[in-house]
Amino acid sequence: MVELPVPARWAVRLAAVAYVFLLVGWPVITLAQRAFADGFAGFHAAMSDPDVTHALLVTVEISLWAVVINTVFGVGMALLLVRYEFPGRRVLSALVDLPMSMSPVVIGLALMLVYSGRYGWFGPTLEAHGLVVIFNSPGMVMATCFVALPLVVREVVPVLEEVGDDQEQAARSLGANAVQTLRRITLPAIKWAVVYGVVLSLARSLGEFGALKIVSGNLTGRTQTAPLVVEQKYDNFAQNEAYAVAFVLVAISVLCILVVSLLRPQEESTS
Amino acid sequence: MSTAVLGQGTRPVGRGRPGVRWTLTGGAGLGLGIALSWFSLLVLIPIAAIVATAGDEGWHGYVDTLTNPQTWAAIKLTVGQSLLVTGINVVMGTGIAWVLVRDRFRGRRLLDLVIDIPFAMPTVVAGLVLLSLYGPKSPIGVNVSNTRTSVTLALAFVTLPFIVRTVQPVLAELDADVEEAAASLGARRVTTLRRIVLPAIAPAIAAGAALSFARAISEYGSLVLISGSLPYRTEAVSVRVLTFVEGGDRTSAAALATVMLAVALIVIVALDLLQRRVARRG
Amino acid sequence: MSIEIRGVHKRFGDFVALEDVNVSLPTGQLTALLGPSGGGKSTLLRIIAGLEKADSGTVGIEGTDATRMSPQKRNVGFVFQHYAVFKHMTVAKNVAFGLEIRRRPKDEVRARVDELLALVHLSQFADRLPSQLSGGQRQRMALARALAVQPKVLLLDEPFGALDAKVRKELRDWLRRLHDEVPVTTVFVTHDQEEAMEVADEIVVINDGRIEQVGTPDSLYDAPANDFVMSFLGEVTQLGDLRLRPHDIHISRSPDLVGATAADILRLTRVGFEVRLVAGTEDGQEVSVVTTRTHARSLGLEEGELVWLTPSSGAATVPAMERLVRAELAG
Repeated sequence: MVELPVPARWAVRLAAVAYVFLLVGWPVITLAQRAFADGFAGFHAAMSDPDVTHALLVTVEISLWAVVINTVFGVGMALLLVRYEFPGRRVLSALVDLPMSMSPVVIGLALMLVYSGRYGWFGPTLEAHGLVVIFNSPGMVMATCFVALPLVVREVVPVLEEVGDDQEQAARSLGANAVQTLRRITLPAIKWAVVYGVVLSLARSLGEFGALKIVSGNLTGRTQTAPLVVEQKYDNFAQNEAYAVAFVLVAISVLCILVVSLLRPQEESTS
Repeated sequence: MSTAVLGQGTRPVGRGRPGVRWTLTGGAGLGLGIALSWFSLLVLIPIAAIVATAGDEGWHGYVDTLTNPQTWAAIKLTVGQSLLVTGINVVMGTGIAWVLVRDRFRGRRLLDLVIDIPFAMPTVVAGLVLLSLYGPKSPIGVNVSNTRTSVTLALAFVTLPFIVRTVQPVLAELDADVEEAAASLGARRVTTLRRIVLPAIAPAIAAGAALSFARAISEYGSLVLISGSLPYRTEAVSVRVLTFVEGGDRTSAAALATVMLAVALIVIVALDLLQRRVARRG
Repeated sequence: MSIEIRGVHKRFGDFVALEDVNVSLPTGQLTALLGPSGGGKSTLLRIIAGLEKADSGTVGIEGTDATRMSPQKRNVGFVFQHYAVFKHMTVAKNVAFGLEIRRRPKDEVRARVDELLALVHLSQFADRLPSQLSGGQRQRMALARALAVQPKVLLLDEPFGALDAKVRKELRDWLRRLHDEVPVTTVFVTHDQEEAMEVADEIVVINDGRIEQVGTPDSLYDAPANDFVMSFLGEVTQLGDLRLRPHDIHISRSPDLVGATAADILRLTRVGFEVRLVAGTEDGQEVSVVTTRTHARSLGLEEGELVWLTPSSGAATVPAMERLVRAELAG
């Protein structure tokens, strides 16, 4: 292995650490400090703001729905893409990745154009039958599903490919039907991949901003989520609330990263 | 964490074979049908709606929208800044990946974890995080809010993990053998790095750069608080789209959105081609 | 002397890889470093190449003290077990690498590459990527690449270890013939005694970081210095107090030679032209004997029969007593 000469090694090390510290580390620390500038009492007061508590509840509810839907879709899609052959499989595989590169604002707009009760393609018809999508929970869940769509699929697909279908073929030869094979062989094999996918989806769902800003209508106390309340509070000079909620969201993201990072080595030792 | 997400297209080609692929039977066919229906309702039809709406005012309307001075300024700013940040990421991202893979020092694990933070954090919070240290109430007296620099800063923040996480696994998989072979043939360290290591990680860097560029172009949340979205100065394309939507001008919004969609599609195609080319090398 | 190793020690943490190794390898010779896995032979090879640094001792290459030289400066060609091909370069570019970084003129590089590809019979693959070649072809390319810069010494680390048996045999012969054509000092590491015996001019047997014996294949086989060398280079069996080769045991139906031992045939198998049998003596010793099919047929050997065993005259032996005594001394 090429070993850099000692001065170069230190220079690269320093540059890398300094860059990450100045760009991410220090700002995050500063935010935490700012959130607790008035001590725990101040933090608690900010978090008790009714707008804030409601926003957090909305966020959690929407995210949980989105994560469940995405997990089911993700695992199913992964199985279809890896274990089956059908025309358009490659195109579908590429399209599933699309949300990763799309702007959340574009996603919000796209959903509006189809489901808006006023001018959408399907919106008016749906609302006539009592299903209000835009500015309402279903639309928000859909928007969140959209942005996090690929996450579970992309975790599960490589694992399915690497595991191969030897075990499944063995199970079939021993008489197991499709459901039994799925339950007893396939799902346990992808267990960890699904866990990572769920954690990633959760982090992404909790944090969605741009798409929800459009699709939810940002109605305070009704459809406003935690990230949206951060913006509103900041714009209204209610900085304490903004920083408090922001801190909570940062803490959750860091927690998700830690969980995944701690789980991974564990998975490697049991597989 | 983001390795898994970003690495799928650029991970070393799986050692396992997927096995024989089944043709669709009843249950699987139904499953595919349901999945496709959901996917269409959620993704495909809405995207189609954007393309359709963009053409509401015909070709001239489309071009007019895009060449509107303020919009054009937004496009130039966004593309320019995205390219700049991608360039920065190519250098810093590769360097960070190198340090994570080939260096040993206390705090390396911490560095590894911190890099994932921008990926897991809500974008608006990212903006606020940067504002805490580099905004009006900065404890170190640095205030870049409402300047072009703030755009660069925000984009650099959210795209930090991309190149690092695509390069890291490839670098980790490199065989020591190959570098020793180069040394035995007389190549100095610099030569080996330039002619052997760099070409080996080049596709990973390119993949990460593509992802980084696509992400930067589409970024919204982190820019909202810190850039001020000043027209002609710090207004990004995504902000422009939102302004159109809030103003009821859906056609212009859709027109601009198609540009962003086009970029996303190009990136996906480019990544797929890259992956196939790497697979050829074996 | 092409390669002089003096007093080389090497440890990895607590593990002693090489202890006080001294060996001289003549110029132009094809030498095998033979021994079991983990015995130190690869480490020694890499120290010669400069890919590892010895803790103490000296390495001389063609009269120059190379102990502190970087691998780049030593002008040794190295071939790896897993080929170490430059994946992103064509076969021709791979072979040209050493010359290109020495900034040789383009025509010279091209001519030399053509010459070498012809030598290793890969001319038609010049513009292919290594991934399109088989394992054996990749290794031939690696050899051409190493030879391109005209190294003073060619080192090969278990070069055929990653290939299947048939390809291994082919490349083995091919290496021998190549060396006859291009007689550069060559050292190769192997754990396969058959490979070493077939290919090498001289064999250095290394075990547990120490050199057990140095000699030609014949001398090692016929006059092993100790039990380890004898066991490693071929089958060994014990008759009474003597350790000897199964094919060096004279077998007959009657005690026609002095000192013959009686034994019953316990197991008998016919493998090709050989007949291998295990015979049990009165003392309970199980002796392996190998004889030809013809001889076995002429004697009418079958399981359960009584036979008489005598060591053949001139058999290579290491007295078992000597082994026991040494074991005692080692404590």
